[in-house]
Amino acid sequence: MERRRISAPGVKAVVVSCDMVTAFGRSSDVCWENILGGRSAISRIARFRTKAFVSDYSAALDTLRYHGQESMVMQMLRSLFEQSEGSVPRDAKLILATTKGEVDLLEQAILEGRGDVSESRPSVLLGKVASLAGVDDAGMVISAACASSSAAVAKAAATIRCGHADCVLVVACDSVTEFVFSGFSSLMALDKNAAMPFDKNRSGLSLGDAAAYALIMSEARAKKEDREIIGEIAGWGLSDDANHMTGPSRDSQGMILALQRALKSASAEATDIGFISAHGTGTVYNDAMEIRAFEAVFGELKVPVYSIKGAVGHTMGAAGLIEMIIAFRALKERTVPSTVNLQEPDGDFREWVSVRQCNVNAGQSALLTNAGFSGINAALVLAGGA
Amino acid sequence: MISISGIGWTVGEGKGCAIKGFPLHGIGGGGAVEPPGKEIFSFPFKNFGRLDPVSRMAGYAVALALKDAGIEYSQDGKLDMGIIGTNASGSLDSDVRYFRDYLESGRTISRGNLFIYTLPSSPLGEAAIHFGLQGPLYYMTGTGDPLKLIMDAAAETMLLDNVPAMLAGVFEEDAAICFVLMKDGECSGRRYWRDIAQAGQLTGGRFDILEIIEKTSKLKERKCSK
Repeated sequence: MERRRISAPGVKAVVVSCDMVTAFGRSSDVCWENILGGRSAISRIARFRTKAFVSDYSAALDTLRYHGQESMVMQMLRSLFEQSEGSVPRDAKLILATTKGEVDLLEQAILEGRGDVSESRPSVLLGKVASLAGVDDAGMVISAACASSSAAVAKAAATIRCGHADCVLVVACDSVTEFVFSGFSSLMALDKNAAMPFDKNRSGLSLGDAAAYALIMSEARAKKEDREIIGEIAGWGLSDDANHMTGPSRDSQGMILALQRALKSASAEATDIGFISAHGTGTVYNDAMEIRAFEAVFGELKVPVYSIKGAVGHTMGAAGLIEMIIAFRALKERTVPSTVNLQEPDGDFREWVSVRQCNVNAGQSALLTNAGFSGINAALVLAGGA
Repeated sequence: MISISGIGWTVGEGKGCAIKGFPLHGIGGGGAVEPPGKEIFSFPFKNFGRLDPVSRMAGYAVALALKDAGIEYSQDGKLDMGIIGTNASGSLDSDVRYFRDYLESGRTISRGNLFIYTLPSSPLGEAAIHFGLQGPLYYMTGTGDPLKLIMDAAAETMLLDNVPAMLAGVFEEDAAICFVLMKDGECSGRRYWRDIAQAGQLTGGRFDILEIIEKTSKLKERKCSK
């Protein structure tokens, strides 16, 4: 069935180029195929000792060198931009999204006395990324916990819709370090085994390495340069629970607000949404919070929901961008992936999530959600390419 | 038009608001952690003494900025207001504190209450919880003018996300300053100083809160235009 295509007001912000590195390796094709195949990149991590932690599982990219000459996020970004030569215009504005960026440099400085802890500051990484991407703009960093890259995409789209720029490069990255792993372990947020988002036996998340970029342009510039339009950032909504630093809201009011703002921003209705790419970490409270929010906004519509975190792990500040790229692919292929590692949906979740793939109607859009510490919520409405 | 309807700051010597112009010398000055009093917060800030230093500074600056703007908040309600913050080094000091503490335990025990402050957005989150800020929340940094960066982002958020008010601040361990930005229709009857285009001139493009505060204290009050 052909449905109406949403039409957001003002200048359209469209994605013209994107790619990623995950624990599956480089390229979004590889990631998409593994997700469709139901495969998970989560396995036992050998990068550091895990005896003291509640888990030893993560989605780690095994080609990365830990505490080598270069931080792990830079190793991932280098491989990403080596392949994208020429596709990023020099005049693109740069937004970098990350939670802990090069924190492995801080570990090295303290453990081995090599370098200085200040080298791990996000502003230092920003300079390296600008140079690597070949842009003239000095750029900015956006950090909004695990909603960092969806907040960065929202900022990029807002900048374009406002007319302040017509080309923005969003780069996102984070890696699995002892620093981060020990912290999530102390919060009892890790699943002892591989994460099982939305499953009745879920008990936590699995961390993952990732880096990604998306080049976002005004529709006018994309057409002028004869760029392929992968999809449109049609709307966005950001909110905060104002409730708890690490626990999601029990009434889901913050996420509901983000969803409502995103739909309004896109001039979209609930019926325009063909599927939801959820944050779906695999923690008991996050997944329940999201389903409550979907119930409140979509009610009887029961839009198909999936999470890719059972496949690539929770990639922290990079999660939103990875998930956006996969969602655009899902729109293109008109296929909603199932949730990797989901075996038996928890209670009422079965009305929303499925162990099987399903189809998307042509013209329908996607909704993407992320949430993070400090009660941060982000939602994006994504429309498919022409 | 978007205007600045309140400014609050805290430095070693004390605390103050731009409009009310009262420097609260001695309250929490010199880096000591004083119990938050009624002069600053409308109701007790839960676990204030356990917050990291940046969160405490942010709490003071936000409270004074809201007071300056005449915006009331309570334990029972939420504000349709977001917060964007910046500083020079992200969460570097908290990162070092957390990781050294973890190492001192023989890499066996890590403390969640230190780990949560290793995100540069966490001080904004503590402020959101106490003041009930339900709008967009994120940390930004860049190489340009820090105030211009956060104020432009806050203005963009207000215009496109239909958020009526935003807080924008520079929050460091030893000092903080926070600005209340409101759409003109929202700050009717309230006083304000400058439009945000002028606010960027306060910094000289550097992360120097003392300089910003000094310039802020010389601002002249203007009436809110409709």
